[in-house]
Amino acid sequence: MNIVYRALRILIKIYTDIRDRITPGWSQKNSSRIREWELMAYAFSKSKIGVLGGFMVFITVVLAIIGPIISWEPYWIYKTITDPKLMYLPPCLPPWCSGRPILGTDEWGRDIVAMSLYGFRISFVISIVVVFFGSVIGIVLGLVSGYKGGVVDEIIMRLTDIFMAFPSLILAIAFAAVLPSRIRGFLGENIWFRNILSTIFGLRPQEYPQLAALLSVWIAMVVVWWPGYTRIIRGTVLSVREHPFIEAAKLCGLSTWRILVKHILPNVLSPVIVMITFDMATATLFAASLSFLGLGPQEPVPELGYMISKAGRYFPERSLHVVAYLGLVLLFIALGWNLLGDALRDVLDPRTRRALEFREEKV
Amino acid sequence: MGLAHYLARRVITFIPTLIGVLLITYIVAYAIPADPVRAWVGEKLLNREALEMVRKKYKFDAPWYEQFAFFVQQLLTGQLEDPIRYRNVFSEIFFRFGITVELALISFLFLVAIGIPLGIVAAMKKDSPVDFFVRIFALIGSSLPSFVLYYFLILILFVYYRTTSLAGIPLPSQTCTDFISSLPNQIPVLGYIVSAIGSVPMFGAAMCGEGGVVVETFRRLYLPALALALLSGGFIARIVRNSILDVMGSEFILYAKARGLSKLKIWGHALKNAMIPIVTVLGLNFGGLLSGAVIAENVFNIPGIGKYMYDAITRLNFPVIIASTFLVALIYLVVNFVVDIIYAVIDPRIRY
Repeated sequence: MNIVYRALRILIKIYTDIRDRITPGWSQKNSSRIREWELMAYAFSKSKIGVLGGFMVFITVVLAIIGPIISWEPYWIYKTITDPKLMYLPPCLPPWCSGRPILGTDEWGRDIVAMSLYGFRISFVISIVVVFFGSVIGIVLGLVSGYKGGVVDEIIMRLTDIFMAFPSLILAIAFAAVLPSRIRGFLGENIWFRNILSTIFGLRPQEYPQLAALLSVWIAMVVVWWPGYTRIIRGTVLSVREHPFIEAAKLCGLSTWRILVKHILPNVLSPVIVMITFDMATATLFAASLSFLGLGPQEPVPELGYMISKAGRYFPERSLHVVAYLGLVLLFIALGWNLLGDALRDVLDPRTRRALEFREEKV
Repeated sequence: MGLAHYLARRVITFIPTLIGVLLITYIVAYAIPADPVRAWVGEKLLNREALEMVRKKYKFDAPWYEQFAFFVQQLLTGQLEDPIRYRNVFSEIFFRFGITVELALISFLFLVAIGIPLGIVAAMKKDSPVDFFVRIFALIGSSLPSFVLYYFLILILFVYYRTTSLAGIPLPSQTCTDFISSLPNQIPVLGYIVSAIGSVPMFGAAMCGEGGVVVETFRRLYLPALALALLSGGFIARIVRNSILDVMGSEFILYAKARGLSKLKIWGHALKNAMIPIVTVLGLNFGGLLSGAVIAENVFNIPGIGKYMYDAITRLNFPVIIASTFLVALIYLVVNFVVDIIYAVIDPRIRY
């Protein structure tokens, strides 16, 4: 546990050094805040679940970054066309058998471990972009709605009501069904954008119809993602804005924008951070569900949900290992984020932190 | 502001929400670049007159706002027709919704049976192995891709031990459905309510005394219901645990202890006050189940509302998409509304 604490302290030190270099004296002015961060780092390193989750997330992120680079098999070669026997080979563990992929192959004879490395990148990119845009839109609307009140609040809340009243999966399915053909045309014309996307997803630029499908999954999910954030932020802002320090800030003549960003946002941030962490898991599973239903990318993209749905057709006789392994991959990604979120909720809650500080001082 | 005033205000806010939902659904559907009429008529009947006829019938030649007004008018008067099955959309939807209600109810039974006792035990024995198990159960449930769980449950309980079936859906006999649909004509007001309840196949069969159908329904639906309950059971148990612990830490429980009340009485007080968050989560969960479990219905091959909507979207079936989204949005609003009313019933301090 100690290593985690030390690593986190080094990270905090690096950050304060950078801030000090930009504005000299920053660390003295914010010494209480830095102390609070260190306490958080300590509380986090004490939580076994959190450390485990953090470790799993770390592995997920590393695999997402290097996965497509280290993957030893190209996903676009259909081996079963030349050699049909390669289809759905069962797992082959080293001491008992050799010469075949360790965990078997999928319907095109590709090694499923190599394919899942591409899958890590795709699902990570989808979930992080969706959660980022969803939370930014949600936070901005929530801040404005909670702080301004009146007509603006009413309009924004009706809008969130509308989007929350939709069954989110259905709305996303509708968007994912409508968008791809439009985006495909756009990607066909704008080669630079296509290249950027293919680098981000770790796919080939030739796959641009599939990139269009991935892009539409992004858009579909962002559309259904923001209302949750708006609701939470608005609720917290409503209670924060009644505090005397906001009144004081208003009397000082600060602009609305400055009050929102400098004085209200930091006070509503911790529930949002926890929600973002949990949402990374939800978004991963949601994206996998969409492509499981056939609304994400198609052949030959090795998207995890899509590969499971293909293997489902031969389940369980031939493809049990594919469903089991890829299911475990998804479980691993989502569980990592959920464990991390579970621990962060405790760490970011000032009450548990104070209790911990108190206990440690007594000892 | 009294309760009646509050409720009236809430009901009025339904209207803009529903209009917004319809408008967005319509815009999304309208944005589909493919020609829906071609998809409806099908390749076999693809001649110019047929296309023109259908196009006229659904006002595809008119500008979009006229078409939208047409759809809304048809929706509100209940005349909308499913252009693929040539049947009234509402009779299709009510039939499928009945099956979704069955699934939701059975799943909800499982959910309550799993979640609440586990949560109570976890709260009583905080930091014990049971508590730890509940935490892990909740985490796995929210991290497991649902379709993988469905596949493995099918593998064990269908492929290895044939305890269920994955085809068809048990329905009451024809004489029974005829009897139930004739009820509104026989009894004035109550008939409508009874017939609406009876349109859920399971209840209809129970009313006619066809016990076999009820048993068959349980046999057919228990697996998807269990799967859905397993996914959120741990989460419910955690909510139950946390809200009980929250209440147990409050001053009035301390006071009750100081007064020397028996343990049973103290737990009674605590449970009643812990009910509010539990009711919220259970209510919203039930609402979610009612709006159709798309993936479960697809994997387990259940002709419920979720599968109907999914099929409609993939076949560009506008009228069905619009009508079913409208229904699902209405369910969401009503469930939220009912949950709010239940608050006021449970907790006399809550006054709107």
